[in-house]
Amino acid sequence: MLVYGIALATPAVAAETEPAVSLKPIPIFEIGKFAITNSMLVTWIVAAGIIVFAQIATQNIKPIPSGIQNFWEWLVGGLYNFLEGIIGRELVRKTFWFFATIFIFILFVNWFGLIPGVGTIGWGHHDPNTGLFHVDQPLLRGGNADLNMTTAMAAIFFVLWLVWALQAQGVGGFLKHLFAPKGETTGVLKVLMAVIFFMVGWLEVISILFRPISLSFRLYGNIYAGESILEAMATMVPLWLAWLPPIPFYFMEILVGVVQALVFMLLTAVFTMLIAQHDHGPEHAPV
Amino acid sequence: MNLIIAAAAGGFSETLHDTAETFGWNWQLFLSQVISFVIVALLLRRFAYKPILAVLEERRRKIEEGQLNAEKIKKELAEAEKRYQEIIAKADADAQKMIDEARESAAHLSERKQQEAIAAAEQILAKAREASAIEHERTMESLKRELGRLVVDTTAKVAGKVLTPEDQQRLQEEAARQLAG
Repeated sequence: MLVYGIALATPAVAAETEPAVSLKPIPIFEIGKFAITNSMLVTWIVAAGIIVFAQIATQNIKPIPSGIQNFWEWLVGGLYNFLEGIIGRELVRKTFWFFATIFIFILFVNWFGLIPGVGTIGWGHHDPNTGLFHVDQPLLRGGNADLNMTTAMAAIFFVLWLVWALQAQGVGGFLKHLFAPKGETTGVLKVLMAVIFFMVGWLEVISILFRPISLSFRLYGNIYAGESILEAMATMVPLWLAWLPPIPFYFMEILVGVVQALVFMLLTAVFTMLIAQHDHGPEHAPV
Repeated sequence: MNLIIAAAAGGFSETLHDTAETFGWNWQLFLSQVISFVIVALLLRRFAYKPILAVLEERRRKIEEGQLNAEKIKKELAEAEKRYQEIIAKADADAQKMIDEARESAAHLSERKQQEAIAAAEQILAKAREASAIEHERTMESLKRELGRLVVDTTAKVAGKVLTPEDQQRLQEEAARQLAG
């Protein structure tokens, strides 16, 4: 039975074995064989919002900015200078579009998930035990509380990272960067160092291959945990007071939204910088 | 060994499948989100970052230019000030020199005019003296003549005789000598 309605959180009462907030996105409708999920819908809404906002901000650019242009300039200019200070002038020129989109997109998707109604408006059923309406299929779900979204961003980064690394180092340089011994050694020690660095190189390869997984699960985990906390806070008190306990956690989640966007952007930027930078000598070689 | 690897690979594959199932991950949704994100990133790159970064770069260039111009103007101003001070100092020196020359010239002129005045005054005095001497001479002559005539008249009246021209001449000469003595 599909019932549209608004519900104050009740899933914890309704299902004790299932998590209060579903771990996975829920398909809300289908176009042919293609399922559209609630988190995908949020992703599209936020993406459209950002694009429209950016378009309005850059539609009639004036030398002396004001209003939306001023805000957009502040955001883009601030991010550019911030990244330039970390990864350098040359690299930021090439990679800024990706890191800026990562930050802006993750930030606004995270914040959109905090708007009241996201996760609590949808299709569900009336629970006769509690007398409350239980939302089984929320219309909207935090975009980053969907592992598909976070792995998508991490995978795109991984591909771009590989492209930028090969552009900066070449195939030989890239392999040398991973496996070649660093430092000035001679004789037996040189052979020993070559063996050690070759083995360490494989550890580095494993670490690199795990980066997309750690990036995607970190973001997913934090946002999903935030949604679960908000849900739990709302259900731990009587219904008439359910609005109160989540309030401080909303503020925390606003902060988490910024921090997670920053962490994802910074980690991807630093990974790129580490592989794209040229070794100038033993003192600059990564350990 | 191969069996262990195969078993491990099978276990890994199963774990991956279970994890994907638990978190609702599937290729279709994943690719859909990849496409969504790529579209957003490319649109933002084309329409949102490029124009803004161009404006920021243009503004940075203008500010840099402005600072350079300000620096240049400051330098030029300092040079102009220096030139102005030099011109003023030169003008002061020239003016002082002209004043000194004028003073010197005036002093010379004054001296010359004074000398001329003194000379003129002396000339006037000399002329006056000369005129006075002539007048005095003339007066004395007249006086001598008058005195001679008076002496002659007086003598003629006292003596009761008519004096001859020789006597008159002698008496007049005697009176003139007495007067001169």
